[in-house]
Amino acid sequence: MGSGHALKLSVVRGGGAFVCGESTALMASIEGRVGEPRAKYIRSVQRGLWNQPTVLNNVETLANIPKILLEGGEKFAETGTTGSSGTKVFALVGKVKRTGLVEVPMGTTLRHLIYDIGGGILGNRPFKAVQTGGPSGGCIPESMLDLKVDFDSLASYGAMMGSGGMIVMDDRSCMVEVARYYTNFLCEESCGKCTPCREGLRRMLEILTDICEGRGREGDIGLLERLGHAMQDASLCSLGKTAANPVLTTIQYFREEYEAHIREKRCPAGVCKNLTRFEIVPDKCVGCGMCARGCPVDAISGGKKETHVIDQARCITCGSCREACKFSAVIAAGRENISEGRQA
Amino acid sequence: MTKKQQIDIKINGRPCTCTKGEFLLEVAKRNGFYIPTLCHHPGIAEQGCCRVCLAEVAENGRSKIVVSCVYPVERPCEAYTDSERVKEDRSVVLMLLAMRAPESTEIKALCKQYGAMDHSRFKPIDGEKCIMCGLCARACASLGAGAISTVLRGTSKKISTPYDEPSETCVGCLSCTKVCPTNAIAYTEDKDKRSIWGRGFTLISCPECGEPIGTREEMELAALRSGEEVQELCPKCRKKKMSDVLAHTYGIE
Repeated sequence: MGSGHALKLSVVRGGGAFVCGESTALMASIEGRVGEPRAKYIRSVQRGLWNQPTVLNNVETLANIPKILLEGGEKFAETGTTGSSGTKVFALVGKVKRTGLVEVPMGTTLRHLIYDIGGGILGNRPFKAVQTGGPSGGCIPESMLDLKVDFDSLASYGAMMGSGGMIVMDDRSCMVEVARYYTNFLCEESCGKCTPCREGLRRMLEILTDICEGRGREGDIGLLERLGHAMQDASLCSLGKTAANPVLTTIQYFREEYEAHIREKRCPAGVCKNLTRFEIVPDKCVGCGMCARGCPVDAISGGKKETHVIDQARCITCGSCREACKFSAVIAAGRENISEGRQA
Repeated sequence: MTKKQQIDIKINGRPCTCTKGEFLLEVAKRNGFYIPTLCHHPGIAEQGCCRVCLAEVAENGRSKIVVSCVYPVERPCEAYTDSERVKEDRSVVLMLLAMRAPESTEIKALCKQYGAMDHSRFKPIDGEKCIMCGLCARACASLGAGAISTVLRGTSKKISTPYDEPSETCVGCLSCTKVCPTNAIAYTEDKDKRSIWGRGFTLISCPECGEPIGTREEMELAALRSGEEVQELCPKCRKKKMSDVLAHTYGIE
């Protein structure tokens, strides 16, 4: 390019594991070894890739350098907050009207991100939570929507910036199931090297699966918290140290949902199949038949312009009817009223 | 060569001296404080994965949990091997290990001695003894055989040979079994036969005394690595032969 400088650039294709995003596991993977993080006392800048001093940065970080070189650090720091200058790219996804990659100044509020940039919640449903930072991030509730997003503020709420993932959830998301889903993902994607992460996740998943399937017990919430805190303290790398975030934040901000699952055997969001029964509210049903057409097991009957009824014995609680209904006539109820037939 | 810097630290309130960069586990041991460990092995560095050897380190008014076998002491600090936070975290880790390897007597003993969190909520992994520390695989790799490795990741991770088939590169030296902290690696030995990782080996006996001295494969690998001839005699008889040569040379009867 006429600069007089020449350099050789090698691009290495990743090993494909989530943990290979961890800096030392990434280096091990590039060297052709198993993608496992190493003990943390050796800095990469002292001894990194091939035992050489290594500069290891995210592509997003490197992309900021030209701007800083061209315009100076002070100009760069004009954008953002004191602790986190510049901008940040978020992958805004989930139940928002406009999804995609968005670049905003650090310190932008979650509300601005979700409602102004994202256009609000799909179907104008109520907002429930936003999960930031990827699978081991935390879930932030509605009361904190005015939180200014930067590295420090997210960490102080048990969430994190992480990969810049931002998953928006509406009232039809079950926070216990969300925690179970991410814990299951992390069980598969933990490298499995250290005990707290590998075995802690295994035991968290055991409890969470029980809670979601109606076998939750008194004391489970406390157990999850104990496991989570030990994982934060004693895990080897950031994956393990943050792996309990989805569980700990959902317990912190949505504890009543855990309690409903455990004590009342009820999934308030109508997601956990064993703890949910769908019902059609006669006053709201207009008899359009959309629910019956959406039902994969023909469990809904009713004539034109007549109130429809769900045959609980056939229903598989997939929730298609609730999605199909334009009149919010299909509601999720607890299991306590489920007819005997359904159990058989 | 510059002399290594000495640092004054306190362990459980007692002043101790250590060299800058020395691992906390070593410092504690040298000063008479015992910290339990499972995956620590003097011959294999940077392990730090069982997370049993936890300690709490306070410096500049802040305190954190560290893994003492891979925590180099760089600054004056106060370390605690048995604080409430250490006990709590260790009791969780020990419970997790006990559920992971319910057949291990070593883990049972540690749980009894240091206290493990109540495990009644969980289902142990039937018949398991391995705690997945990976020492065996690292020992095997460092000896040059590289017959076993960790396979898969996450909760499915295990130690095995490639494709779970009898390894072509295993020399049957039993090094993996010797470094294993929970005696989890099965092998059989009968007179002149040894079997490990699905492969059988013939044991060679010392031509002098008849004691089995190892497999042909392991002796050939040792000779290759050391650049010496394959040893035919057992160490005892080799010593005797050498002393006979020396005695003859110097005319001692």
